[in-house]
Amino acid sequence: MTGSAATGRTTDGRNDRSPVAARARDGREAKADEVTETQVKMPSLMGRTALGAGLTGWIGAAAVAVALTLSGTHASAAPGALSPDEQQCLACHGMPGLEKPLENGKTLSLTIDGQHFADSVHSRIGCTACHVDIDRATHPSAVKSIGSQREFSLEMSETCRNCHSEQYHQWKQSVHAALVGDGSPVAPTCVGCHAPHGVVKGAAATMDTVPCRTCHADIFTAYASSVHGQLRSKGLTAAPLCFGCHGAHEVAVPSAGSGRRDVCLSCHTEAVASHRTWLPNVDLHFSVVSCPVCHAPKAQRMVNLILYNSTTQKETSRPLGIPEFETLDSGHGNGKSGLDPTTLLTLLRASDGPHGKTALRGRLEVRTGVQDHELTLASEAIGTCSTCHKQGSMAFQSVVVSVAGPAGIPIHYDANTEVLRSALTINSVGGFYAIGGTRVTVLDVLLGLALVGGIGGPLTHMAWRWSFRRILDRRSHHHPHGKG
Amino acid sequence: MHRIYLHPLPVRIWHWINAAGCVLLVLTGLQIRYVGLIDVVPFKTAVTVHNWTGFVVVADFFLWLCFYISSARVRSYHTDLNPVRYFLGSMRQAVYYAIGIIERAPNPFHPSVYRKFNPLQLMTYQMIMIILLPIQCVTGILLWNLTGFAGVVTALGGVRVIDTAHVVIFIIFAFYIPAHVYLAAMGRTPLDHFKAMLTGWEEEPETVKAKPQPKREPAE
Repeated sequence: MTGSAATGRTTDGRNDRSPVAARARDGREAKADEVTETQVKMPSLMGRTALGAGLTGWIGAAAVAVALTLSGTHASAAPGALSPDEQQCLACHGMPGLEKPLENGKTLSLTIDGQHFADSVHSRIGCTACHVDIDRATHPSAVKSIGSQREFSLEMSETCRNCHSEQYHQWKQSVHAALVGDGSPVAPTCVGCHAPHGVVKGAAATMDTVPCRTCHADIFTAYASSVHGQLRSKGLTAAPLCFGCHGAHEVAVPSAGSGRRDVCLSCHTEAVASHRTWLPNVDLHFSVVSCPVCHAPKAQRMVNLILYNSTTQKETSRPLGIPEFETLDSGHGNGKSGLDPTTLLTLLRASDGPHGKTALRGRLEVRTGVQDHELTLASEAIGTCSTCHKQGSMAFQSVVVSVAGPAGIPIHYDANTEVLRSALTINSVGGFYAIGGTRVTVLDVLLGLALVGGIGGPLTHMAWRWSFRRILDRRSHHHPHGKG
Repeated sequence: MHRIYLHPLPVRIWHWINAAGCVLLVLTGLQIRYVGLIDVVPFKTAVTVHNWTGFVVVADFFLWLCFYISSARVRSYHTDLNPVRYFLGSMRQAVYYAIGIIERAPNPFHPSVYRKFNPLQLMTYQMIMIILLPIQCVTGILLWNLTGFAGVVTALGGVRVIDTAHVVIFIIFAFYIPAHVYLAAMGRTPLDHFKAMLTGWEEEPETVKAKPQPKREPAE
């Protein structure tokens, strides 16, 4: 399943590994590489003929592999050269235009580019290692019914698991699998990223061929222009490609918790110490400010108020069961519209349940995934406190309230920027405050009154004293005996 | 005239450090809160000065606390348990500040070693020293290290609640400090009380002895 991505990274990393590159790759990835290497090679020692013995599924593949290894009757084919068995398959499947009608009315192409397959790492294991349900005695007359291409992809993912079990399980934990489970028609299965008949080492490890760009084209464009992309394109393999930060198979919701910060710090290990030399409250900044907020200086920022249960400390998931919330349109924070302080307060109280109160935890983030990738050199990053810590800062002109949606992907609801400044939300938005930037308006008014009172009061009293004393002095002057 | 040793050295040290500290805290607080509107010093400098000054004021508060809990002079902070007397004394003092001072009437209150605050001062200083300043110290320390005190901050309602409490007390101090300076200048001469807080000795007119107040002098 993952021969392309994983073995490609292994080759790339081992040939060009620098100390920085070594840091850039977390242990998780390295482990995945090792497993992939082992698992891809293992079937290559096997023969293929007996794979058609009628066994199905991973049990069949494993059992037959052992049997053939023991028999030693079949040698593996080297990449670039196909064995007679594969050539026999390609006699038909190499023909252009070979298609199979699907139950959904569409067609599935059955044509395989023979040369691509011959060059792929999977050529070593042969066709029937994966297509275990094919019986040479009855194929092609025993026609298997396939509902849709998607259904076939999902079914074949189980076949990939036979050899690439660790990668499969990583994928099962990923946001991609969660989306697949949620019925997404586009979230990738194994073959979504890895062309099964053309898997070559290193295919996922170059900017030109990394499969992520197929679906995330706009993000990839931003990445390619970023400091990471530019360094990578110049051949610096220490600069991360997609999987360097997101993982190849265990792709998580990128904005979840402290995940993004931890990913950055896994390479930039000196970042905390270097920030401590000039940035006050470093731990707090690292906790509530996403790295791209400063390191993608042209990005638009937003305050992300994440709903969570104050007892369990877990993010609240949709649906909340509050009709007003469910009917809100999700958006990306356009400033003046969306939830106003009163509505937000009402909704929060309505969502309090027997398991605890619902509260908001704030984070400063950039508005889109594209902008998340527009990272620049550190020298170009924002380093002036007053960029954010002042009234009217662009950082606080966009506010969203988030709940975890399907597959854990956050759903953003627009909120009025007043929720950051209203006295009504002092408690409900208690988890977010930026000195100077999100001042409570009514406190500014109170301070004004206090200064007027504290300075104006004495001045008034002084004037009062002075003017009345003059009157009294004048009276005593005109009536020197008046006072007795 | 006779002299009373009203302000012992520890009290004077505490007072002037506290005064300078609070003024600096209010000024740097204004700078921190109103960056862009007030740009006297850089934000980071204001934060650094504010933090260090805050620690000095916290330490100074403990100087005050230690002195008074170990001294009989703490009676000056004791509440008058007779509400009628306390109310009448407060009214008398308020009338003096509003009218009496204009007529150059004598101050109705005459301090002594164990009772140095008039009823209005007593109420004000009790609120400041027993309620407001301790809350301000605690909220200031929490805001100084929000991640270190994350549990306490969350338990108290979050950073916004803590900050609001801190700012509300800051507003009260911003009102109080100029008013305090003005009231301090309303002695027999404008500088009398300032001198007393420097030397420790307060001068009182001899007439006081001729017209004693119905006061609650503690048994000594």
